[in-house]
Amino acid sequence: MGVGILASRAIRPASRLLRSQHSNLILRTIVSKPELQSPEAAAVSQPEPPKNQILPPRNPVGGARVHFSNPEDAIEVFVDGYAVKVPKGFTVLQACEVAGVDIPRFCYHSRLSIAGNCRMCLVEVEKSPKPVASCAMPALPGMKIKTDTPIAKKAREGVMEFLLMNHPLDCPICDQGGECDLQDQSMAFGSDRGRFTEMKRSVVDKNLGPLVKTVMTRCIQCTRCVRFASEVAGVQDLGMLGRGSGEEIGTYVEKLMTSELSGNVIDICPVGALTSKPFAFKARNWELKGTETIDVSDAVGSNIRVDSRGPEVMRIIPRLNEDINEEWISDKTRFSYDGLKRQRLSDPMIRDSDGRFKAVSWRDALAVVGDIIHQVKSDEIVGIAGQLSDAESMMVLKDFVNRMGSDNVWCEGTAVGVDADLRSSYLMNTSISGLENADVFLLVGTQPRVEAAMVNARICKTVRASNAKVAYIGPPADFNYDCKHLGTGPDTLKEIAEGRHPFCSTLKNAKNPAIIVGAGLFNRTDKDAVLSAVESIAQANNVVRPDWNGLNYLLLYAAQAAALDLGLIQQSAKALESAKFVYLMGADDVDVGKIPKDAFVVYQGHHGDKAVYRANVILPASAFTEKEGTYENTEGFTQQTVPAVPTVGDARDDWKIVRALSEVSGVNLPYNSIEGVRSRIKNVAPNLVHTDEREPAAFGPSLKPECKETMSTTPFKPVVENFYMTNAITRASKIMAQCSAVLLKK
Amino acid sequence: MAAPFTLRKIGVPPNSANLTEARRRVFDFFRAACRSIPTVMDIYNLQDVVAPSQLRFAISAQIRNNAHVTDPKVIDLLLFKGMEELTDIVDHAKQRHHIIGQYVVGEGLVQNTGSKDQGKSDFLKNFYTSNYF
Repeated sequence: MGVGILASRAIRPASRLLRSQHSNLILRTIVSKPELQSPEAAAVSQPEPPKNQILPPRNPVGGARVHFSNPEDAIEVFVDGYAVKVPKGFTVLQACEVAGVDIPRFCYHSRLSIAGNCRMCLVEVEKSPKPVASCAMPALPGMKIKTDTPIAKKAREGVMEFLLMNHPLDCPICDQGGECDLQDQSMAFGSDRGRFTEMKRSVVDKNLGPLVKTVMTRCIQCTRCVRFASEVAGVQDLGMLGRGSGEEIGTYVEKLMTSELSGNVIDICPVGALTSKPFAFKARNWELKGTETIDVSDAVGSNIRVDSRGPEVMRIIPRLNEDINEEWISDKTRFSYDGLKRQRLSDPMIRDSDGRFKAVSWRDALAVVGDIIHQVKSDEIVGIAGQLSDAESMMVLKDFVNRMGSDNVWCEGTAVGVDADLRSSYLMNTSISGLENADVFLLVGTQPRVEAAMVNARICKTVRASNAKVAYIGPPADFNYDCKHLGTGPDTLKEIAEGRHPFCSTLKNAKNPAIIVGAGLFNRTDKDAVLSAVESIAQANNVVRPDWNGLNYLLLYAAQAAALDLGLIQQSAKALESAKFVYLMGADDVDVGKIPKDAFVVYQGHHGDKAVYRANVILPASAFTEKEGTYENTEGFTQQTVPAVPTVGDARDDWKIVRALSEVSGVNLPYNSIEGVRSRIKNVAPNLVHTDEREPAAFGPSLKPECKETMSTTPFKPVVENFYMTNAITRASKIMAQCSAVLLKK
Repeated sequence: MAAPFTLRKIGVPPNSANLTEARRRVFDFFRAACRSIPTVMDIYNLQDVVAPSQLRFAISAQIRNNAHVTDPKVIDLLLFKGMEELTDIVDHAKQRHHIIGQYVVGEGLVQNTGSKDQGKSDFLKNFYTSNYF
């Protein structure tokens, strides 16, 4: 500024007239220095940092840990003067991340292949004529990387300017505002003014379905969605059409994105080109409160973050969990939240003599149930837990029913004869992350794509990374990776068990074979024969070893693993037909026709789904977003949900209702707080109390007795008819209804 | 009949020096309140609803509620609040339903419905109130 004032004084005309006008203004002329003209000159004029400076220690970005698979192969590189050791195959960007420097990027994603087309990650490397794309350049030993030099900064400003040239001024109406990579990086790394004065180009929107909203004008052609769809989802739906400024992302044919992982492109897209259609224009991200919880729509237990505004759930976003769901969630998890607002039970109700329900107070409802339960004989009492029940409520239900003298309490989905003695006979023994090490998969009677989408994503990842072979026995289905269809029923299974099938050689030569059996097989009458055939295949091919247990069972419902751990199994087949008092705790898949006409049915749940129409008394409970419950996923990993929104109306938590009912009925359960329930669970199944830990099964299948039954020839049937409508919440959801009308393959 | 009692507006009295003086003040307040009962019954037409003895019982129950207090300054403050309430009632600043709801103990009123939950545990009482306990 001083130079400018002096210069202006020199060139100001020394006439009195003008001086009087300008005396109260200080004319400032713009003076330029050689350092400001070009980045190279600025680099030259910067003072050298003193040698042997003691630099403060640095932590990797985001608290990441670096895994050295081969410690001798570590290279040393220098990032901004700081020496870091990285494994051999690391790129410059990854090396900078280890050194704690976060380099801006648009097209690079740690779980997708490298594209290198956005050029935002340019950094300066010594002895290189031009800045290098750090996401693509491998780190060589002794490389000196500089990320905050004027050249790197100028490169970033330039890239930002180019990206913003054709980008529409949509921030006020764009849903990504507030969480947009383009906004954040232009504030941090962009220049303050642009030089574009022509007309911006616009692109026609594509219809990708009822879930993903596209505004393709905002697309910056980073190709993250294209790479995601082809690599992680396994469907080659999206592609880049055209060249230059006319490039468009689309499906080319008028095709909807029918993949069950299609909602993840919404998270991946750095700008507002692909956004969530149900969440469009509903809320801004800064007014939402995020609660980290667990999803219960299937048995995987994906980690989610529920964004809520007041009492309403606005959207569901995935959370990072390397072992279970990485960074993805299925469409059902992501979009079924609007079922939480429809058809909710909010008051206790009793069915009147004219058949209609009347809302009553809790006192009256519990008093009525407590009266009736004493008028029936003990073995006519039946308790059925639903597919979304948490471990605490199932424990209290089992205790209550047992103290009333009855043994008939089970979880829906477990047929007669399923025994829960050995945990290895109903869990995914290779954990979900362990499936990545398998090289041959045999899927028996299961369709992981609709039963547990995240397990399917993991198999897809393994197939893609190490060319694993997949074969399946069951009804013909669509898979998003190459797999062989061996057969449809137990006959094929017998052939493989006896060694007559050509697939047996593949199994024998596999280093880590994995067999995944679907829990739908538990409902078959010849279940024992089928499972013993599977076990003989496992034994013949060395599938179960001390270091690798490849015999897995894929459960269908979130409550099944915990139910089997707690001992909620069906002892007698005729229990339901001869029942006089039926307590349905969220059980909607029960065959209502089997309940006798004179039985007294109590339904405790959060949605008015199928079983409510048969109930005599309704007790409203809270849904998974409103309660703190323990859920165990299909691999034995215990997790807890956290309440994100308050309960609806007069609803209570499930376990509290059963505990209050027990007190009104005169049965005194020895606990009255959630800690008491958990200490009771600790006595029965201590792994359910250790949250965020996976408890593997202790014994292998070798302890099971021999089975003498014969297999029937009925082929395996698909368990999940409609992927989008499997539980009470999804059946009440409008978005799921739209999806099942439009996106299901006919 | 004796001359009707008039509640004279006394300015803020100085703090009581010790417990004896505070005790004396409490009894003076009780006497003043009981002497204004006929006026109150007349103003709010409580002749058929309640008997004077019941109102006296209500006042003494409120005072007995705070019988455990020993600090003279706290007693002074409670008396100040009580005097304020009494002045409001006598000045017809309240209405009939306030008096009946707050001071008349009878059937179906808030004070009497506690008997239903007598034999029940804390868990059940909390359960009937709300989900969060």
